[in-house]
Amino acid sequence: MALEIDEKSLKHGVLTLVVTLVEVIQEALETQAVRRLEGGDLTEEEQDRLGEALMELDEAMDEIKAEHGITASVEDLHRGLDDVVDEVVDKLINPSRWAEEEGKNIT
Amino acid sequence: MTDLAERGSTAPTAHGSGQTAGMEPTRNPQVTLPDLIEVLLNKGTYLNLDLIISVADIPLIGINLRATIAGMETMLEYGMMRDWDEKTRLWVQRSVARNFPLRPGEEVIAKMAGGHFQEGFSRIWRPGNIYVTNQRLVAFRRDPKEILWQSDLSDIMDLSLQGERTIGGEERTRLIVRTSDDATTMLSAAAPQRIRELVIGSIGLPHVRKGSGPESSAHESTAAGAQPPEAPPAQREPDTLLREGHMWYLERRAQGQIWRAGHARLDTRTGFTWKGPLDARPAVNLAPAEILSVEPAEGQTPVGHSNILQVVGSRDRVYLTSADIGEWEREIAVLVNRDPGSAHTSEAENGA
Repeated sequence: MALEIDEKSLKHGVLTLVVTLVEVIQEALETQAVRRLEGGDLTEEEQDRLGEALMELDEAMDEIKAEHGITASVEDLHRGLDDVVDEVVDKLINPSRWAEEEGKNIT
Repeated sequence: MTDLAERGSTAPTAHGSGQTAGMEPTRNPQVTLPDLIEVLLNKGTYLNLDLIISVADIPLIGINLRATIAGMETMLEYGMMRDWDEKTRLWVQRSVARNFPLRPGEEVIAKMAGGHFQEGFSRIWRPGNIYVTNQRLVAFRRDPKEILWQSDLSDIMDLSLQGERTIGGEERTRLIVRTSDDATTMLSAAAPQRIRELVIGSIGLPHVRKGSGPESSAHESTAAGAQPPEAPPAQREPDTLLREGHMWYLERRAQGQIWRAGHARLDTRTGFTWKGPLDARPAVNLAPAEILSVEPAEGQTPVGHSNILQVVGSRDRVYLTSADIGEWEREIAVLVNRDPGSAHTSEAENGA
């Protein structure tokens, strides 16, 4: 069986994956930045610089997505990842689920 | 044929953001990936992993991994990486001040591109960087290294913003610094507003502005607004303004004559005025009735326009030149030939 991969869609897919991962990191950085700002030991100059840098990153990401037309697919993948995480966390924190899984495996 | 023997443990992290591990899970709000990462980073995660990769039950590769990952704020809370954090931030501060001759105990508060307008021998903008330190306001050029201008913060009496039209016709905001020796200096900066805030914030308001005239309070009000300061609306009367723009003016001084760049206005009410960028009041002020005639003249000019406009006033003659001197001539001529009693501008506009 030959596996047919369209070169364009491969590039598209890889780019989507990378951009999505960067976006996830970016979100993490943003929440941590907020915590550092609230922590209060940054000088005013550092706060400005941090805010500006993150804003620039955000703009750059939007530009990249728009340029390659992957805004929608990045959003999809992001949602997909969220679903996976949701499911895993749900499984982890709900011991009752384990029993269900067990039951499923047996039958 | 590959067999993985894995023994791992993760330190207790709070699973699920804000959800108690109750027997009845709530699927809403949905846990998202950023939520998960946030919790992991905020609480801090410690990973201790031993891993042996063996083939055919023969261990080949061993991995012993100890990792701690947490938001920097959490790290600091636990007293980890504190020195490193400080060092990193200090390094940035020092790299900002690289090449810059700091005095002992001096710290750079802000640095940005800017320039200093040199007066005297030659009147030019000299580009460099503007540094605000906790002691000084400095215009510094890195290469070749030179302090273009500096003043101790304690010597600064006033720092105001002033709109200026550049030779290219753009509106820029300049910083006008008045020091205790009663000299004014013009600086440019990428963010003049911020420089002003920083300087005034660090020297304390009280002695700034004391003794400065109403002019600087006008700057004050424009500086407070977010808009770049333009000519105050009270001064601008659009229905009487005929023409406004960059203009060279031949100033007569004791040592001889010198062409100065500045801003000219032609107004049906106030007549012709010319003001240098640093002057407090116009150097040329000719009321419409004072202008007797305009004549073209020939001569050497600093920018190579060979056409010079000679405005004959009742007391004096004024020599001017600019890129669009022809239009100026026409409009001044219209103003001169007008009946001084009529205040209608329509005629002048049609004439132009």
